Parts: sequence; C-alpha cells; structure tokens
Amino acid sequence: MSRVFITGMGIISAVGASLAENRSALRAGKGGVTLCDRLPSRYAGILPFGKVGAGTDELNEKFKIADPGITRTTLLALHAFDDAISDARLTEAALSDPGTALIGATTVGGMCLTDELYRDTSNPCEGSAFLSSYDCASVHLYLQSRYKMQGFTTTINTACSSSANAIQFGARLIKNGLARKAIVGGTDSLAKFTINGFNALQILSSELCRPFDRDRAGLNLGEGAAFLVLEGEEALAGGGEEAAAGKKIYAELTGYCNTNDAYHPSALSLPGDGPYLAMEGALRSARLSAADIDFINTHGTATENNDEAESRAMVRLFGEPPVFVSTKSYTGHTLGASGAIEAVYSILSLAHQELYASLNFEQSIPGIGLRPIPAYKKAALRHVMSNSFGFGGNCTSLIFSNTR
Amino acid sequence: METAELKQQLKRQIIEFLNLTDTVPENIQDDKPLFGDEGLGLDSIDSLELIVLLNREYGIVIKDLKEGRKVLVDINSMAGYIEKNRTK
Amino acid sequence: MAAIVLRSFFPTPDSHVLYPSYILYFAARVGGESAGDGVGASLPLLQWSPDGILIGTGYGGMEDSVKFLKQIIEYEEGVLTPGPFVQSTANAIASQIGLFNHNKGYNTTYVHRGLAFESALIDAAMLVKEHPGNSYLVGGVDEISGHNYRFEQAEGWYKKEDFAGGDLYAADSPGSIAGEGAALFLLNDSPAGALARVIGIATLRGENEDAFRAALHLFLDRHLPDGKKPDLLLSGENGDSRALKWYTICEALLGLDVAVARFKHLCGEYPTAAAFALWLACTLPLKGSDHQTILIYNNYKFSQHSLILLEKFL
Repeated sequence: MSRVFITGMGIISAVGASLAENRSALRAGKGGVTLCDRLPSRYAGILPFGKVGAGTDELNEKFKIADPGITRTTLLALHAFDDAISDARLTEAALSDPGTALIGATTVGGMCLTDELYRDTSNPCEGSAFLSSYDCASVHLYLQSRYKMQGFTTTINTACSSSANAIQFGARLIKNGLARKAIVGGTDSLAKFTINGFNALQILSSELCRPFDRDRAGLNLGEGAAFLVLEGEEALAGGGEEAAAGKKIYAELTGYCNTNDAYHPSALSLPGDGPYLAMEGALRSARLSAADIDFINTHGTATENNDEAESRAMVRLFGEPPVFVSTKSYTGHTLGASGAIEAVYSILSLAHQELYASLNFEQSIPGIGLRPIPAYKKAALRHVMSNSFGFGGNCTSLIFSNTR
Repeated sequence: METAELKQQLKRQIIEFLNLTDTVPENIQDDKPLFGDEGLGLDSIDSLELIVLLNREYGIVIKDLKEGRKVLVDINSMAGYIEKNRTK
Repeated sequence: MAAIVLRSFFPTPDSHVLYPSYILYFAARVGGESAGDGVGASLPLLQWSPDGILIGTGYGGMEDSVKFLKQIIEYEEGVLTPGPFVQSTANAIASQIGLFNHNKGYNTTYVHRGLAFESALIDAAMLVKEHPGNSYLVGGVDEISGHNYRFEQAEGWYKKEDFAGGDLYAADSPGSIAGEGAALFLLNDSPAGALARVIGIATLRGENEDAFRAALHLFLDRHLPDGKKPDLLLSGENGDSRALKWYTICEALLGLDVAVARFKHLCGEYPTAAAFALWLACTLPLKGSDHQTILIYNNYKFSQHSLILLEKFL
C-alpha cells in the first residue's frame, strides 16, 4: 500500500492564526487560554476559554462572505483549509481533481448559532437563513463548493477524536487507491451549546487547566481548526508541475488505530482500555515497538478522569512513557478540531526536532507519578504519537515519522 | 410534608427526571442503593441529573460532586438531606 | 473478485481497487428514538461479534439537542441536566451499540447528510480489505424528530398538499414525504452464507446533468463487463417533481430492459434512506434465476448522488 505524506498544514487557534504564530507561541510557552468578554455566553469573563483572536466579522470580511448562514465554525475551517492548500501549493486543477478527497470533522457544526437555532425551533416557518447551516456537514459541503472540489467528501463526528479519525480515514483512502490526495482536518467554534453542555457535566475548570497535575480541576474549552494535506507516493512521484512547485514533505503518517473504550458515554475506563488498545494498535500498524516512540502529544484534557485513564494506559503500554505534552494547556480543548490541531503540533515537533513545554503542571498524580515535559528543548525525534479520546469511548491514536 | 410522603414524591420525581420508563415508585426500596449494579444502576451522569433535580425541586445547591456522592446513596439519605436543607 | 470502487464526479480510470465485500446479514427497524433504533436493529447482528461498528446518520440527535437548548434558554445557562447533551451527540448511536456489545473494535460515525451511510459503507469495505477475515457492522440510522420535520417542511422538502397515501410517484408536485429508519448490515469477505456481494459504490456531488450521465456511464462500464446492464434498478425516486430528472436520466441510460422498483413510498425520505434500499435489495427474492445484479441509485436534495451495485446469488 502507498505511503502517505503530509505536504501542507494550516491552523488557527487561540495561540495564532498561522503555522508560524502557533509555533512561536509553543516555543515561547505562551498559552492562549484567558478570560474573554466577547463570547455569546454568560460565562464570558467568568470561565477561561481558548478563543481564537479573530472575530467572526473579521473572518467574514477576509473571505468576502455575505451569507449569514456561513457559521463561525465554517469560517475557522475556511481559514485553516486555505492556509493548508497554499502551504501544499495545491493548484486549482489539483483541488478539482476527482482524486483529491476532502475529509472533515466537527462536533459543533452550526450549533454555534445557538440563539438562532432556538428561534428557529420555535418558529421555523419564518424562512430563516440558517436552517441548513446547523448540521456538521454544512461546513465541508461549503468548502467543497467554494473550492470546486470533485473528489470524495465526507464529514465525521466522533466527538473529541473526530479530526484524528478524518486523518486516518483520508490516509486509508489513499492507501486503498481510492484517492491520490486527501485534505483532512477539523474545526469547532466556542458555542453556548457546548459551553453549557460541558458545564452541566461539571468538567470545566474555573482556572487555567492543569493537564496531568494532581490538582487538575477540569478542562478549558477552546476553538480552532486545522487541515493537513495528505499525499500518496504516486501523487508525489508524479513530477511535473507539482515537483516544480517545490513541494515540501513535513512527515509521514506511519501508524493509526481507532478503537472503542466501551465503558461509559462520557468517561473512560480507569485502566484506560480504549486508549491502551488505540496506542497499541497504532504501533502495530506502524510496525514499531513502544520503545520507538520518542514523544507523545497526549489527549490530556485535564479532567480527573481522562488524565488518570490516559496515564495508566501509557504506563501499561510503555512502562516508562516517553516525553509527553498536553498542548491543550495552550489552546484549550478544541473538541472536533483537537485531533487535527494536535497532529499539526506533533508534526511541527518532528519537523523542527523540538519539544514544547506542557503548561500549568506542578505535582504529578499520586500513585502514577508521570510528569509532562516542563520546558522547551531541542530533541532528536524519529517517531511521535498523537492521541485523541472522545465521548462515546471513541479513541484514536496516530503516529507520524520523520522522513529526513 | 411527612417524610414518607416526601420519599414517595422523590421516587416519582427521580423516575420522571431520569426517564426511567421501566420502573415504578413501588420498585424503589428506601434503602436500595441508587448507584451500582446491585441497586437502581444509575451512573455518573445520573448523579449530575439528581443534583439538578435537588436544585430545581428543592432549592438545594450541591457544588461539590464529592459532597453529592455522600448524599445520593439511597432514598433515605436523599430524603434526609432534603428535609435538612430544602429552601423550597 | 468483487470490487468496491470509489468514484467522484468525473471518474478517473486509475482510481481502482479490487477486494471482496459481502453483506452477511441485515436487520432493520423503523420508528422510535435513533440511538434506541440503532441498538435495537443491531441486536441480531451482534451475535457475530463484529470487529467494528460504523454508522451513518444525517439528522444525528436533533431532538436531544433541542431539549438541551431549551434548558439553556429556560434556565438562562444556569444549572442544567447533562443527559440530553450527551445523548445529542451524533456518535451516540455507534457508541451505544459498542457499549451494549462491549465492543472495543473500530467505531466511527459519518454525518454527511445524504452520503453519511455510503461513507460508512466505503470505510467498512476498506476495513474488510485491510483485515481479511474480520466482519464489520455498518448501518444507516435516522430518526424523525419534530424539529427536523419542521425545518424540512419550512424549506419545502415535504409535500405541502394533503397526501393521504396515494401514489407518491404520480403526485407531480414538489416535495416528498418524511421518513426514518435504521438498517444495519454485517460486512466481510466471505461468500459463505452471504446475502449479497457489494460490487461497487460511487458518491457524487453536483447538479450538472452531463457530468452525472458521464459518471453513471463510467460506473456501469467499470463494473458490468461487455455493456451488461443490471437486472434491477432500485430507484430512490421520492415523488419530488424537481428531483425526477435525475431518475429519468438514470433510467434512460439503463434502457427499457432494466426493471425499476422504487422504495421511498415504503420508508419515506431521509438522509440514510439508501441503507433501507440496501436492506430491501438483500431481502428481495431472486425470481427464476440464480443470479441478479441490482443497482441502487439515490439522490438526496438534488446534489448528493449515490450508486451502489450489488450482486445476489443463491
């Protein structure tokens, strides 16, 4: 089966609106989770959030969009998608090629229009502009139309592992000869709906989240989007116009695995069975052993449940786990976008042979004793793992490898 | 309100709130554990829902989940807590 | 060898993969709450301990979403019950089946409206190829909810006139009828005990008639040798006069010798109705022959098209 390479990335998050800005923040150990006032929720200014700096109006203007039915979730996706395809130097012809797939993911979709949805459910006959914007598919149907894409397009929603699944599905389309390229990723925006959902579950922290810390008190919600361009060997060996364009190769996607924890709708089993099986499966698919993994970008939400389950699974698999980080300490938990955002961060580590500090950590979890990386440093990295575990027990693990 | 009456009301409210369509108040013994397989089989999400029920029906605020677990043991413990702390 | 082939709007000759994929068993149930439907419909299949669960759903958990939404507004973002929020997530169906079955295998949910089920089917077909000997539970599940109904109605997707079960296909007016359903299948690479073999799947997007004609032609050319035609077209014609042209194009291309059967008068219109069609195709008895090819063509809201080609044998 064809090997799959990452040739372009685009990202927008609480720590930056470009790959360079995000990397800069990670290197500096500067997180983007704050108390922000400009949020459509009574929790604005009360709970910390990882909000993207750009306002919705600013994004609308940037992309010259007048249609109010194009939601913030879609706008964030558009920003990251546009950057990714530029980064990969994809021509219009390449985008429209039937062999170029688009696999997107989101959990919020148009539900960020919480107030509009409420109005429409009370009186849908008024011809609202939003009726076909509320679902998750609306995001990628829009991207497909705007960029005149003719390849296979679909939308995944597996909660917090959604965009990690988009990545492995896109890669498998290429490996099975059903696509030559795949633009894969995810997006989610801060919404009254999800803010209240997580608050009702009592897993939001009133302070900056502290992944893997003994005193962690829950997660901070964030928003953002990231897209990656995956290309098969064949597409890259094609030469001609694309080779001349000076395509770069960031990394290779060498392993992946999707499993289910099958324990509870919104909590992981404490031995961390789903996470363990996902990581083990990814190693098997990459034909690597645990000792080959130099670094893990964990799911690390800073909830009591996740960090304990994830820690136990890492100890079970690795004995002594490799260096690990939770970049949710920078961006907050970006839900459907987290798999893709953290894949981008993992690849940045690999491409630049560097590790970013895990923020807000002081004391390890009693009885487990793991400590995430405390400070930025350069490191020799061959293989890195990125994990995403979602509601419904959906667990996905990805492995990226250095190509240099 | 008499304790017995409160317990009956509470059982009806729990069934309605948690949408336990396959049970009736008579099936819920006062000392039957609410959580776990030997009891009513409620889970962690149900415990959050019960905290909301206490808030909405009885004006009781339980901020701490750990504090909540001590209260939500069985109907007896819930009724006792309600009688001491209700503001509605 | 059977083939699952992915096609885009302008199929290219070299995006080809050949591997077998059989539908071992099916279960279907119509009516009720989507997650409950999904679990219920999956029950007979779970005895085969599938290695993974893949669900396509277009509507997701709208009813629970709105239940939670109303709480947000009514209680002004105060103390809210988390149950409806957790249940509203689109992946609740697949994960509840997994929970019920203690199934730690592959688990995913596609939500791409009229192509959600087809996406799940393509993913399952790839898994069958990647893991020979494994079997996967794949299904399309959608539940009618008051809110989805009202939204669809407001946008003109349902008949405005009184429609008391007359001939849906003779109505000659815009709109169809609301539907819902849960149809699940077990897919693996073994013909033993199989109901059908999936030969090819294509998904297309757009409203260019020439391009659709070309794509359909190429799909048939690819999978049915020597100009052969399928024995039966299971058509997703839904009584919406505006969508009729797509089905007319399909029937014209196939020619008068191909029998046509429709299914939307049985299940109504909903995003994953093609799953119902697949179930129907599996259940239809073979009439006076030991072999039959069936083409399912479904069109969802004009611009999402799917083609599933099946082979049935005794």
